[in-house]
Amino acid sequence: MSEKILYSYSALFDTPDKIIHAAKTVAEKGFKKFDVNTPYPVHGMDKAMKLTKSKIGWVTLVFGLTGTLTAVTMMGWMMAVDYPIVIGGKPYFGLPGFGPIMFELSVLFGAVITVVALLMFFLKLPNNSHPVHDTEYMKNVSSDKYGILIEATDPKFNKNEVEALFQELGAEKILPIYFDEEEISFKPKIFDKKFIGFLVIVAAITSLSVYGTMNKVLYMIPFSWMSEQGKSIPQETSKVFKNGSDMLPPVKGTVARGYLPYRFKGQPDKAAELLVNPLLPTEENLALGKTKFNIYCSPCHGYLADGKSRLNGNFPAPPTLHSNKVRNWTDGRIYHVIMEGQNVMPSYAHQLSEKERWAVINYIRVLQRSFNAKESDLL
Amino acid sequence: MSNNEFTQELSVIEGKPSLRSLDEIISKPLDTKPDKKYYIALGVTLTMLTIGAVALAYSFYYGIGLWGNNNPVGWAWPIVNFVFWIGIGHAGTLISAILFLFRQKWRTGIARFAEGMTIFAVITAMIFPIIHTGRPWVAAVYLLPYPSQHSLWVNFYSPLLWDVFAVSTYFTVSFTFWYVGLIPDFASLRDRTKSKVKKIIYSITSLGWRHSNRHWRHYEMVYLILAGLATPLVLSVHTVVSFDFAVAQLPGWHSTIFPPYFVAGAVFSGFAMVQNVLIFIRKIFNYEHIITLDTLEKMNKIILLTGSMVGYAYTMEFFIAWYSGVPTEVFTFVNRAFGDYSWAYWIMFSCNVFIPQLFWFKKIRRTIPIMFVIAVFVNVGMWFERFVITVTSLSRDFLPSSWAYFKPTIVDGALLLGSFGLFFTLVLLFTKSLPVISIAEVKGVVDGSQPSHGEH
Amino acid sequence: MSSTLNKVDYVKKDLPPLLKKLAYGLTAVGLVLVILAYLTDHTRSAYNNVILLMFLISIGLGSLFLVAIEYLGGAVWSTPFRRIAEFLAAILLIVPIVAIPIYFNMHELYHWLHHEAVESDPVLKGKAAYLNIKFFTIRVVAFFAVWILFYYLITNNSKKQDTTGDPELTKRNIRLSAIFIPIFAITLTFTAIDWMMSLEAHWFSTMFGVYYFAGIFLGGITSVTFLLVYLNEKGNLVKGLVPDHYYSFGVFMFGFVNFWAYIAFSQYMLIWYANLPEETIWFIHRWEGSWVAVSLAIIFIHFVIPFFVMVSQGSKMNAPKLKFMAIWILIAHYIDLYWIVMPTFSPKGAVFGWIEFGFLVLGLGLVLLVFVLKAKNNNLVPIGDPKLQRGIDFRL
Repeated sequence: MSEKILYSYSALFDTPDKIIHAAKTVAEKGFKKFDVNTPYPVHGMDKAMKLTKSKIGWVTLVFGLTGTLTAVTMMGWMMAVDYPIVIGGKPYFGLPGFGPIMFELSVLFGAVITVVALLMFFLKLPNNSHPVHDTEYMKNVSSDKYGILIEATDPKFNKNEVEALFQELGAEKILPIYFDEEEISFKPKIFDKKFIGFLVIVAAITSLSVYGTMNKVLYMIPFSWMSEQGKSIPQETSKVFKNGSDMLPPVKGTVARGYLPYRFKGQPDKAAELLVNPLLPTEENLALGKTKFNIYCSPCHGYLADGKSRLNGNFPAPPTLHSNKVRNWTDGRIYHVIMEGQNVMPSYAHQLSEKERWAVINYIRVLQRSFNAKESDLL
Repeated sequence: MSNNEFTQELSVIEGKPSLRSLDEIISKPLDTKPDKKYYIALGVTLTMLTIGAVALAYSFYYGIGLWGNNNPVGWAWPIVNFVFWIGIGHAGTLISAILFLFRQKWRTGIARFAEGMTIFAVITAMIFPIIHTGRPWVAAVYLLPYPSQHSLWVNFYSPLLWDVFAVSTYFTVSFTFWYVGLIPDFASLRDRTKSKVKKIIYSITSLGWRHSNRHWRHYEMVYLILAGLATPLVLSVHTVVSFDFAVAQLPGWHSTIFPPYFVAGAVFSGFAMVQNVLIFIRKIFNYEHIITLDTLEKMNKIILLTGSMVGYAYTMEFFIAWYSGVPTEVFTFVNRAFGDYSWAYWIMFSCNVFIPQLFWFKKIRRTIPIMFVIAVFVNVGMWFERFVITVTSLSRDFLPSSWAYFKPTIVDGALLLGSFGLFFTLVLLFTKSLPVISIAEVKGVVDGSQPSHGEH
Repeated sequence: MSSTLNKVDYVKKDLPPLLKKLAYGLTAVGLVLVILAYLTDHTRSAYNNVILLMFLISIGLGSLFLVAIEYLGGAVWSTPFRRIAEFLAAILLIVPIVAIPIYFNMHELYHWLHHEAVESDPVLKGKAAYLNIKFFTIRVVAFFAVWILFYYLITNNSKKQDTTGDPELTKRNIRLSAIFIPIFAITLTFTAIDWMMSLEAHWFSTMFGVYYFAGIFLGGITSVTFLLVYLNEKGNLVKGLVPDHYYSFGVFMFGFVNFWAYIAFSQYMLIWYANLPEETIWFIHRWEGSWVAVSLAIIFIHFVIPFFVMVSQGSKMNAPKLKFMAIWILIAHYIDLYWIVMPTFSPKGAVFGWIEFGFLVLGLGLVLLVFVLKAKNNNLVPIGDPKLQRGIDFRL
């Protein structure tokens, strides 16, 4: 391009006092479109430039309170309206319990929205195509000099007057700043190669990741929501055993609990010798024995085990259990009779559990003692 | 000399360096290639980090039965580590935000570094609550209140959920605050770098900042606002962490003083860690005239103050436990001091209460090797404090038949080691990629940098 | 060491007549009302006396604390005003006198003095080693003594400096302040426990000391802030003070209103959450009858309103706002103490009549009276302090 367009005239100073004085002078002279650039904020510059206080604090206040309101509304609705659950006996809408999150969201909203507002609206950044970028002026004010610039579009701007003013203020260097060629001539085109390329890349990344997530990742362990589990599903073939089932029948010789075979089948003498009554004749055990005896034994043997059966002649009357023979039998021998039966009596192994059998035997002993009491028993 | 002690303000930066020399000395680590010592240090921290990563992989694969947690001590090292690291993060925000609000200029040299440490500490801390669930890929998703297929919402009454909000807010705001502070520095780096790639990176990260005063005035207001917001935020974060314990009915946990006690403890351990790291940084990068001995002394005074607050809380808990007449409370405190974990209790007490009292002596406050050791003890003590609180109360809870002794496993230890590895790796990477001292702020407090009227 | 007597523009002026009138007037009216109150209903008066005692301690101790932290922190912005805090700390000298009438009514106030109740109650019996009249008295006397000791040591050094300008006195005060802080923490905690927490002898809270501390700080900072703004406007202080100087006082008032709210909320929420009957009872007592209204009102008076009025930067430097809010917060602090103490006297609902009003008036009167008497023969500005010129030059 033939002619460069002037953005502003700028001056560099090397002490903070000088830049304050320069700013004050320029402001007092009535310039409006001017700016000061310093590597760090210089105290008193706002006043010198006649700038008002920043109003961004209102953004923080408004959005901070929005955060509070959002928090309490969200929690109130979720905990008291949509799905109320009694937690620890606390009321559905318990403000003390909501307090911490109300505070946090206020701070979050306030802080983040303030910064977003700062950048987008107050500073209008990001902006990397401002004329001062990449100039000698910028390099200096970024490091150790203090700069002031007056824009060419200011109504009071006059190249020579401004230059003279800067000289008067004691500027170390006076530099004009021009608009950058590309910055002015840049026209954003919708079919610009770079832009299209950027769109294509974004599209590719987005679609690949969405496809990958939804169709691949979500089916992989551990993201698959346990849809595939290594468990047995009924009526489906399983990989656990060769025959396709996930359970084999029990091994030959397996015995169910409580179903151990009777060791002394057909061996009454062995039973008499080796079986020992594990139950003590406590009141509880005797009560159990009495109950079971009355249910299972008394129809034939009578309530007092004296053979006065209620069979009424349909069956041969069973013997009394108070004979010397039975009284001299060991508990184990009686157990054998319960297990295998004898003569007409069938086996009662299925009607009585092991404990009940021994309890009945204890009760029989009690009855036997009662029929053969000694005088000392009466005391 | 002492005539001037009170009548004149102490220089924050010694020697009145020129602004350009500040540019140079602070950007030097960014412009030079790392040297052998750096690689050795990085090697050490990466090794620690790898050990932790391996332990973590094992924990995911085999389940958290690999840890020492048992019944009833369901919370052990992971939670202790979480509270420990969050606490360390607090010093950074205190230095950047609270000391800024109190206009303590001596914070300038250390604020950027401390904020960085905050962010790294919070990152390290956040790992623990996520992994301690055992299946974080399931659990982490349910932390935030969004409509899920369960139609169930999160439990807003749970302090663990308050933690989620508090720590994420803390991380977000700290990061934002840190980044906002970095913008002018990125601009300065952009304008002095000779590398094309770096220029593009800095141009993007600086957002095109041009040091305009019209911008500075909004910037400074936002900085003040962020400092003003970060202050109650940092107090709230460790308060919410203390609520994790204090809302329970467990003796030793349910104590109304927990919030300020935890906050004081966090600042205490945080400052100790920052002091330790700064002693290295100022030596390695030749920042002794910016991070001065006066700065270190002031930090030690804060360590003494917050340590005493922690001691006050210990005293109050003990006294009120007796005063309350609740037998379980009395038992808990006697058990802490004389029971199974008395060794942990006395480490905690000596490191937190007795040892920092040495900082009453000016000579010790200004002697670097001694202050370094004291700060290490402080951090040991503070880790043990969280351990004592968590484990002693749990191992002796309400049902004596449930009582059990907790023993950590090697995986627990490896995870703690790994967390230190992660933290220090991030710190090392930080020193080489970002300016560890805030260039713009430091320039603003050098003698002669402000126009000559009035004192600030 | 050559003295560094400052060349500052300070001329000792008489205090504004309105201040003196209020001091003598409020005290006189207050005394009459209080004496009448004791003759009418000595139990109710004793309770009010406890509130008055705690109120005066909070201002006196709070002011001394402010002096101490100025020395420790090395702050300069508060130096021109430190003498105001020093005068207010003299309230500690009259605090023992205010405590005396309570002594004659201890039995009506404190359940743990009822021997039969203590004997039959294992909980009270368990703490009888601490809550008994002998140990209580020893503590009270010891605390008063140590406060008055530090008051004299610190303020005498400061006063001496007016004539000598010796920086060594500042160094000595820094050391004294450092030692004072832990003593301050312990004594205020047990003061709060002894006089206030033991009113409900079964109740306990580890936070109670910190809660009183929040009140102490507010008592101190509000009194100091009001007087410094008022007196600066009337020209009683050194020349050259501007709204910039007020700013940090505004910040502290705002900050500690928030701190008070944080402590109050934490204490309440933790007890609400765990729901243990031995702890919740204290708050339940403050939710009976018209106490509900008082409890809710305190949230607004002590936190919400001061927060929104003081939140902006400008408000913290605005003289009329600062004066108004200082008095507002000071009264809110008195209401807070009333809310802590009074429910034990009238559990069914709040009582507020001429007796309560009389004690409040006496309280405000005594604060001003002590200040006025100290200001009579002392400089209102520490003219010999080496930091004074920096303090006057201070700008934001």
